[in-house]
Amino acid sequence: MKPIRFTVNGSPREVNCHPSKTLLDVLREDLNLTASKECCGKGECGSCSILVDKEVICSCLVLAGQAEGMDITTCEGVGLTANMDIVQEAFVSEGATQCGYCTPGLIVSSRAFLNSIEHIPSVSEIKTALGGNLCRCTGYAKIIRAVETAAKHQLENKGKLSLR
Amino acid sequence: MLVSEIDVISPLDLDECLTILSREGIQHRLLAGGTDAVVRMKDGKWRPNVWINVKGLNELRYIVKKDGAIHIGPLTTHSDIIRSQLLQTQADVLVEAAREVGATQMQNMGTIGGNIGTASPAGDTIPALFVLGAVLEIRSCNNKRLVPIEEFFIGPGKTVLRQNEMITNIIIQPQEKNEIGIFQKLGPRKAQSISIVNVAVNLIMGENNRQCLGGKIAFGAVAPTIIRAKKCESMLKIAPITDDMIENISKVAWKEVMPITDVRASASYRRDMASALLHRGLYRLMRRWESYES
Repeated sequence: MKPIRFTVNGSPREVNCHPSKTLLDVLREDLNLTASKECCGKGECGSCSILVDKEVICSCLVLAGQAEGMDITTCEGVGLTANMDIVQEAFVSEGATQCGYCTPGLIVSSRAFLNSIEHIPSVSEIKTALGGNLCRCTGYAKIIRAVETAAKHQLENKGKLSLR
Repeated sequence: MLVSEIDVISPLDLDECLTILSREGIQHRLLAGGTDAVVRMKDGKWRPNVWINVKGLNELRYIVKKDGAIHIGPLTTHSDIIRSQLLQTQADVLVEAAREVGATQMQNMGTIGGNIGTASPAGDTIPALFVLGAVLEIRSCNNKRLVPIEEFFIGPGKTVLRQNEMITNIIIQPQEKNEIGIFQKLGPRKAQSISIVNVAVNLIMGENNRQCLGGKIAFGAVAPTIIRAKKCESMLKIAPITDDMIENISKVAWKEVMPITDVRASASYRRDMASALLHRGLYRLMRRWESYES
């Protein structure tokens, strides 16, 4: 057991665990942040996606011992029911969720992608950005539409802000 | 060895890391992006006593031009490579290869040093490094040696790297104005796939129409390690690379590769696809070259 310190969703946390435990298990079991899911455990499906220093990664392939000092954002950090993010609102309004297992990972990946855009992305750009997230209900059409909608809202809001 | 018994050490700098590597009696393994190493730990294949976590060694994460060569730090991620202006203009084939690695998450996590060190016969950046004439700088606590990438691999997962050594620098020759490269990959799907066959090509073009002064071709996933297709390469200089010539070169590739049958594809399919990928690659490369010229 080793103490490991990092920042999760803006607040500093410390956990005691064995250093080869995956970061995903630490988040779910030690910190009770259960939005990130385990599915393939090999970095192929993206269900465990989180942001580390604003870049999307798979938390199932990071060891707790590597997480020391990391700045982590999980799906809970993107937004909760009380303060939903534009992406989450768009997922709801477009109905871009079926069983919901892949949804937290997709929301995190979409957030990371939307942070980088300056224009409304094309469908192929969205597909490339979300290529690492699998939805086994195959509800991709709605997911892509939700990201488009979120992008529109985000850019509109940005426009409003700059007018002020 | 249980996963819960494996320790993780994070050295603060390269010297500390090399000192830890030189300690005998402990079974250790380097851990960078983890996209391969952690999967193998979960599968029970790799259970070292200690992981040496080098991911935090930012001194080994750089892309710079020095003395006419491009130096890439082994902890440079695939995303860093894709974003690099320098590599986009002077090592286009490496950027194309990095784009084909996994998807966004894997590109953000995986490092080029890890891709080399893992020594997968299907590694995507390795054929690109072959055609760019990469040289690896390998260091241990008290020694430093340079190894051309073609001499680095011994077999699947096997390299000349000793237990106390690590890759500390990757040196490639920048492309001149008349050089052009392409990377082609066949996977089961577009994103997030392991190569069934891949090929990297770098050509030095002459002044006449489609005249080629030489070049390098490297195939992945068709042999125990990445291989150069030297017979195909020797054909590049014979005559202008017309569509007929491309046809002939890709026929030679069919004979030159030595694939095996495994879970991803059969040997005969790989052979056909190696030929087809080179055909497609050279065709696209010529089109691209002509559009640059006009």
